[in-house]
Amino acid sequence: MNTQIENLVGDGTPSAGKIGEFIRANRFPLAEPGHVTFVFQGQADEVNLRRWISGLSTAQAMQALEGTDLWVLRMELPDKSRFEYKFEVVRGGQRDLVLDSLNEVKAHDPFGANSVCQGYGYKRPSWTLQDPEARNGTLSGFQMNSGAFESQRDIQVYLPARFRRSRKYPLLVVHDGADYLRYADFKTVLDNLIHRLEIPAMIVAMTQSPDRLVEYTGDQRHARFIGDELLQELNTKFPLIDSNRARGLMGASLGGVATLHIARQYPHRFGQLLLQSGSFAFSDLGQHQKGPIFDPVVRFVNEYRKNPFALAEKIYMSCGVYESLIYENRSLLPLLQAQGMQVNFEEARDAHNWENWRDRLRNGLSWLYPGPLWMVYE
Amino acid sequence: MQILLGPQNPAPNLSQAIETINTDGSIVVITAGWRDSEGETDELREISGHPLEDLMLYQRAEEVFANEPALHDLHRERQKKLTELQRLYRIRLTPTITAARKLMKTRAESELLHLEQRAAISQLRALDSHHLRRIRGIHQKFNLQRAELEVPRALVQRDKVHRLVEKAGVVLIAGGHVAVLLNRIRLFGLDQLLAEKPVIAWSAGAMAMTERIVLFHHSAPHGKRDSELLDAGLGIVRRRVLLPHAGTRLDWRNHKRMALFSRRFSPATCCTLDNGSMIHIDNEQLITSKRSSIVTRTGRKRALTKA
Repeated sequence: MNTQIENLVGDGTPSAGKIGEFIRANRFPLAEPGHVTFVFQGQADEVNLRRWISGLSTAQAMQALEGTDLWVLRMELPDKSRFEYKFEVVRGGQRDLVLDSLNEVKAHDPFGANSVCQGYGYKRPSWTLQDPEARNGTLSGFQMNSGAFESQRDIQVYLPARFRRSRKYPLLVVHDGADYLRYADFKTVLDNLIHRLEIPAMIVAMTQSPDRLVEYTGDQRHARFIGDELLQELNTKFPLIDSNRARGLMGASLGGVATLHIARQYPHRFGQLLLQSGSFAFSDLGQHQKGPIFDPVVRFVNEYRKNPFALAEKIYMSCGVYESLIYENRSLLPLLQAQGMQVNFEEARDAHNWENWRDRLRNGLSWLYPGPLWMVYE
Repeated sequence: MQILLGPQNPAPNLSQAIETINTDGSIVVITAGWRDSEGETDELREISGHPLEDLMLYQRAEEVFANEPALHDLHRERQKKLTELQRLYRIRLTPTITAARKLMKTRAESELLHLEQRAAISQLRALDSHHLRRIRGIHQKFNLQRAELEVPRALVQRDKVHRLVEKAGVVLIAGGHVAVLLNRIRLFGLDQLLAEKPVIAWSAGAMAMTERIVLFHHSAPHGKRDSELLDAGLGIVRRRVLLPHAGTRLDWRNHKRMALFSRRFSPATCCTLDNGSMIHIDNEQLITSKRSSIVTRTGRKRALTKA
């Protein structure tokens, strides 16, 4: 049992006042080396922890603390881990998923918010928080006509602080850019890393697909849109370094699949690839079990596994060890390395979520685009 | 006379250095290494305790490039070549330095091992020398092509800068981006003038004064990185490799790695320049030194003193 809980119940059933003091005095969930303890306060018939961790059951029952309205669950968790969760509260046969009201740390994604469990030793990286000394880049948007999709597409563009047309800049194209901005503090990260000289001042073009389940799963139209049309448009509009080494493409989850697919269609057009928790589903024998959406992904990844070749100069891959995709990502790694590309693979004690992807941005971006820090001696 | 300092934060020692030079003349400063922040010298005036005039080499260069497109193109072409050459150098550097590092760490019969270590370090030194020759070749070609260009606006700016330096009693060279700083000093042809003037230079400014610019950061954000030779410096300070921020940028706990660093650049002496450091040199002789260390052949620190 966790020490704080032991202290609470050590002298028998705690009073309401003692419970109140316990709630006020602690941060929840209670983290200690190797373990974490969740606490829910409220009347219920049953409370379950619902967590998004591969390898463990998605729901785990919490225990009622006798004579109180507290429910607790202690689980093993390696230090510096992080994952997202909710409580499933059952009352009168009705099941509700609720945020942990005792935990103010929340993460957001396109499906809503989750509470965040930060294991012992986890600390949000300082470079993901706004630094008042960092100069702000700017975000602006433009629309372009895509012949491949026969429709208008919105592009958001990050220009670094002190942008000058007389200079040439590296380019990064980002799948799900609006999500990266909203859920992974991408602009803050770019401002900070540029300010710290860890990456160069760069132009970042962000796309947002209206139908990513189709367009990101090995769609030729999408490859043409990004690899041909968007690049041409960006070259016309912005002063970009004319070298594939200064050109990168990135994405997370299916965005990682889209990135790899484009790189396969246009080898070396992008010299740098950043793949986060790519959904690289494949099958060695028989039908895969991932559902029909993944049919084109499996087809494409299987084809690449059969006939692999070098796609770019450098690839940074990251994946959480608490997501099932760790298997696919680990499987792809030796194949990519064997093609003579420089591949940097990072495993994180985290799951399939935007904050995992946020926390890996520094390592990925500064490895693919080393900044002038190397050259600066103030 | 040259006075070489470490970073001026948190405790500046610039005013002490200026007192050492004891000049009645004006003080000019080069802050081109600060790039877009060039000229923001209020704090510098405060810590120096003297009026300063910034030569504004970075902004002048921007003006020159805007008005002399042929020179700008030539400059860009050279930078592109240098960047590409650096990439090619790294392809050879990585396996060469990895082999040397492995040999520094491995255990074997000493008679066998020492010769192999020496051979590996020689290969590393030969690679650095080759790289430096190639870089010098690119600069020479640039200079020849530049001499053929008619660039009247560039010459006007160069003459203005030269007059300011000639009148000055001392030139300060601030730190910052070492390649940008060196480029701008070269662009305005200040090499010879700086050799004849009392100069106080710190961090990247001090590195620019040497014969070889060595980039180093053993704990870069994306992991360990091997030190590399960037360029020839102005060659005013000789037989020294200067290491600003040595306390934080070098892995002093790894004696083998530091020993390799020292032996790679020998016979030049690797000297640290941390906050508070001051190295006073006159006629290529060390006059005094404060809070600066050298990296020994065994990868340890020893106070820099007159031999």
